[in-house]
Amino acid sequence: MGTSGDEENGVAGLGRPGGTGQVAGGWGNGDLGSSDDRAQFSALLEDSVEDLYEHAPCGYLSTLLDGRIAKVNTTLLDWLGYERDDLLGRRHFSDLLTVGGRLYHETHFAPLLGMQGEVSGIALELKAADGSRLPVLVTSTVRTGRDGRPLLIRTTLFDARDRRAYETELLRARKEAERERERLQRLAATLQKTLLPPTLANVPGLDVSAYYHIASVDEVGGDFYDLFPLAEGTWGLFLGDVCGKGAAAAAVTSLTRYTLRAAAVYNPDPDAVLRNLNTVLNHEYNGADPRFCTVIFGLLTPDPDRGGFHITLASGGHPPALLMRADGTTDYLPTPGGQLIGVLADAHIATTAVRLAPGDTLLLHTDGLTEAHVNAVDGVDRYGDDALLDFARTLAPTTASATVDAIRDLLDTFGSGVDDDTAVLAIHVPRPPSEELQ
Amino acid sequence: MTQRLTLRTRTAPAGAVIELAGDLDHHSAPEVRAALPGLDLRPGQQLVLDLGDVTFCDSSGITVLIAARNHALTAGAGIALAAVPDPVSRIFRICGLDQVFPVHPTALAAETAWRPTAG
Repeated sequence: MGTSGDEENGVAGLGRPGGTGQVAGGWGNGDLGSSDDRAQFSALLEDSVEDLYEHAPCGYLSTLLDGRIAKVNTTLLDWLGYERDDLLGRRHFSDLLTVGGRLYHETHFAPLLGMQGEVSGIALELKAADGSRLPVLVTSTVRTGRDGRPLLIRTTLFDARDRRAYETELLRARKEAERERERLQRLAATLQKTLLPPTLANVPGLDVSAYYHIASVDEVGGDFYDLFPLAEGTWGLFLGDVCGKGAAAAAVTSLTRYTLRAAAVYNPDPDAVLRNLNTVLNHEYNGADPRFCTVIFGLLTPDPDRGGFHITLASGGHPPALLMRADGTTDYLPTPGGQLIGVLADAHIATTAVRLAPGDTLLLHTDGLTEAHVNAVDGVDRYGDDALLDFARTLAPTTASATVDAIRDLLDTFGSGVDDDTAVLAIHVPRPPSEELQ
Repeated sequence: MTQRLTLRTRTAPAGAVIELAGDLDHHSAPEVRAALPGLDLRPGQQLVLDLGDVTFCDSSGITVLIAARNHALTAGAGIALAAVPDPVSRIFRICGLDQVFPVHPTALAAETAWRPTAG
């Protein structure tokens, strides 16, 4: 800052609005037509030193090293509503500050000034005679005598009311944006909830557990699952993944869920259910913005003779289910040849049937789990189907809730490596109490 | 972790070829989709997607491959995939796309195998 001399101060003060030379030249040539005007203009320029000090567009203040006010300009007096005699020799610079400002001055401003000889652009608040506050930007320089000893402190103060208003506005806009984001996240969470069943149907003789891992709080994912009663003694279940994210994917997810439930009531044959879904999605979405899903649909029927359940699974291009037997044998239940749903007019649906005996657990999952980023091993940085199979083998024999808990823990260890939503649904046939004792 | 996608298109006698390298996912799929309308593809030709350097393909990647297929079919052209890496061909098998896209070991093999259809 130009605090080394009064003339420099004056020039800096005039120059601030936009270039001294240009402005003076423009007025001199254009508007100052009469000789009288020109004379007044020259006079203002010539004896400007005192005037510029007193009526500069900023406040000037000179204080002794202990802060006592030795000189002050009219601009600052006007801002604060003081008479010159109120301040000179009577008040310290810190007396003009608010309590918070005084504290900051004492702990930061003054020590820094002592060390560096200059402090610039510090935001402080002045307290006017009437108690009102005035935000200012303060710059101070220590002036020394010929022998280098510090003699006094020169301080320039800029009115920062506009700047404060601007900052307040910025802060308000940021708070508003944060509120908007929270609203959006609440909306996404609510929408997500409507795409998942509030509770899974209670199937007598079956232990059921499910979990939905949300990868992003800002975007609705496209994974879905459900388990619900059909005709007497049978249940339908499904789990799938609609491609994409966000509102458009959520619309497809919603359509898919309701179509699956309605189609299952109409004809519970799993192959027919997925065929119906394929027709609906294929009619709805094609061309440049294709929408599809991969899904497994299962029809559960209790086995009245031997206990447990029969399940027929139909797969439309979905990762295969994992079967963990009561004896610990664990493998994928392949449904090869099934095609994703919604893209092809006559998608092939693959089906398989299996009996779930007491002690068996079946796990359905979406690929958010197997496509999670993990620490690279041999250049492969995705978790993968083989790793999941190995993991399931360590769990078996197990239960539905133990399986889902283990997968939740597994997803937690991946942390931010899970960049897509993940849904898991496990069903387990508990052993009869008599068997558990053995 | 994530490999940025790069996309190159060229024109072969049999039709347009798109060469992809890197991760074909939620973030990069729109870029491929945007390249489709600008392709020089005439009826009877074949669009080849060379996936030789694709490191990852998720459901968004599959979506854009299907969009490419729809685009080619609308133009009266065919579509083929070339040099499909193992992890990608595994995903294709799971979702049954191996039965939808003709697959060739290289882009050149895809072009050689192409027999222009009448029209």
